[in-house]
Amino acid sequence: MSTRLHGLPAAPGVATGAPWIYRPPDANGVALRSIADAAEAAAAELERLAGRLRAEGRPDEAEILDAQALMAIDEELLAAAREREAAGGVGPAEAVVAAAEDVASGFEALDDPILSARAADVRDVGARIARHVSGTPPPQLARRSIVVANDLAPSVTVELDRALLAGIALEGGSRTSHAAILARALGIPAVVCVPRIVDASADVAELAIDGDAGLAVLDPDDADRDRLAHAAAAAALRRASDDALRGRPMATADGHRVQCMANVGDPSEAAAAFAAGADGIGLLRTEFAFAGRASAPGEDEQAEAYAEVLRAAGDAPVVIRLADIGGDKPLPYVPILDEANPFLGIRAIRLAETHPELFATQVRAILRASLAAGRPASIMAPMVADAADVAAVRRLIDDARSAVPDAPAPRVGIMVEIPSAVLLADQLGAIVDFMSIGTNDLTQYLLAADRTNPRLAGRQDPLHPAVLRAVAGIVAAGVAHDAEVAVCGEMAADPAGAALLVGLGVQELSMDPTAFGGVKRALAEWSSPELEAIARRALDCASAAEVRELVVTR
Amino acid sequence: MAEAEIEVRNPSGLHARPAATFVRAAAALAVDVRVTNLSRDPDKSVSAKSVLGVMGLGVARGHRIRLGADGPEAEAAVKTLVDLVASGLGEEVAGS
Repeated sequence: MSTRLHGLPAAPGVATGAPWIYRPPDANGVALRSIADAAEAAAAELERLAGRLRAEGRPDEAEILDAQALMAIDEELLAAAREREAAGGVGPAEAVVAAAEDVASGFEALDDPILSARAADVRDVGARIARHVSGTPPPQLARRSIVVANDLAPSVTVELDRALLAGIALEGGSRTSHAAILARALGIPAVVCVPRIVDASADVAELAIDGDAGLAVLDPDDADRDRLAHAAAAAALRRASDDALRGRPMATADGHRVQCMANVGDPSEAAAAFAAGADGIGLLRTEFAFAGRASAPGEDEQAEAYAEVLRAAGDAPVVIRLADIGGDKPLPYVPILDEANPFLGIRAIRLAETHPELFATQVRAILRASLAAGRPASIMAPMVADAADVAAVRRLIDDARSAVPDAPAPRVGIMVEIPSAVLLADQLGAIVDFMSIGTNDLTQYLLAADRTNPRLAGRQDPLHPAVLRAVAGIVAAGVAHDAEVAVCGEMAADPAGAALLVGLGVQELSMDPTAFGGVKRALAEWSSPELEAIARRALDCASAAEVRELVVTR
Repeated sequence: MAEAEIEVRNPSGLHARPAATFVRAAAALAVDVRVTNLSRDPDKSVSAKSVLGVMGLGVARGHRIRLGADGPEAEAAVKTLVDLVASGLGEEVAGS
């Protein structure tokens, strides 16, 4: 009897092999070398592995190992390890592992995503030095295997025999972890965030993974094998089709064009979005500028970051959303009193009442970046409830414009995610240039279903007729007042959701660039009159499931 | 006693690659230079020769750091590292 565990896709392809569970070597063995000698040996080994990666044309991953070689001989790490050893009770190997753990948890405590990701590198260095203390050889595969681990350091991956390394299945990790990036680069199928995979693999003979679907199958039977082979062939076709679609516009079968916009969370992602075929940036989330720091970001720094996005965009439109900061992720320089429900609390532009300078600085930075680029970025305000909120945002922008008088006038828009804004869309459409529907928050607020509560996941479907009716109302208001209507939530990235949105008259879909191919393919299957007819029927459905049925079976 | 302050403009701050470049340069100096991240914790300083110490300062883009050293060659050592940070530590950084 096979068991299927669902995780997340990390590197494409299907693979089958014996599960091989990687655990860092035991630190309790006999000590053959001193900490200092073991550290030197570990550093030399890491440099050698870095050289191997460089020779394979992987300079970025090689640099991770080079940095780890420096960590291995870091005087502060070794001093801390020797101190622990001298204090007694632990051997040298255990002392190194514990000292590395201290440093790694220090990194994680700083609440900086880049640094947290480096914590794994430090733990890996500690384990490697410990291995050299006891003289244990590096772990090796004996047959064709799927490597199973909590997380897998690049240094471990490159040490394994590539001919026997069929695939990687991780309980932790993420699509952007080193393990995933390296697996994609080396063409090794991989899945991440697979619950219980380490324990569950302990006594199975065979493990199969589908790196496109994020699926792991324990003890696959013939039917599983057939399904996986089928999935592998379909995925290969889809990838080829995505590549072919990159340069084509997003349009329906009868040629009705839809703006294909990218959601971007960091300026460095903008260039990749355009390479993937974006018509513009429909949502630049600016929280990157505010997170993980002790004081508010300065005007110069922000202006430079926004200018980077405008440069990457060339002549294409860029929509910058003002910071959506709130009590769910408090910042040291924006103290927010404890709130029972931060999603209904002082967040986003509501903060402008108590922290006007935070937003004034951000708007001036956007205007200065626009001035430098010679064309305006659009400014979008999140969490707008009514016309008074729009007026406050306009005042903020007017004040900033008097400080940067030569900057071109920005288009001003709002996120529509609060139900009051939906009901007042006719008023709001008259006083803004565009409205972008945030379907994730709109769904949670309309259906009173907390997005962070997994037990309510079934009530989170944006295909719910209530959400569709909200979209229809906003589109009508946009048409009446000549305000563009876009959607920048997950719904735009879901082929069925995108089809309904276009049927409802949405002109612009903004999504993660990885979703472009799927949405382009879906829209090209329908004519606009067909989509309009389906959308009209969907408005009268009783549930999200009924709507989905309608789209899938048409 | 020599001291200087500079803003780090590398896209991901003083993490990984730029930190390694910085530490290698510091290790080649005869003087011990201390580093402080003024934007995060002005009371904590680490040796510029410790890659884990420097990474642990959590220097992000836009943070200001202070470099300080004592002794006869302190001034030259601090200047070497300040120039290196200003040059982008081998990465392309945007001018201010």
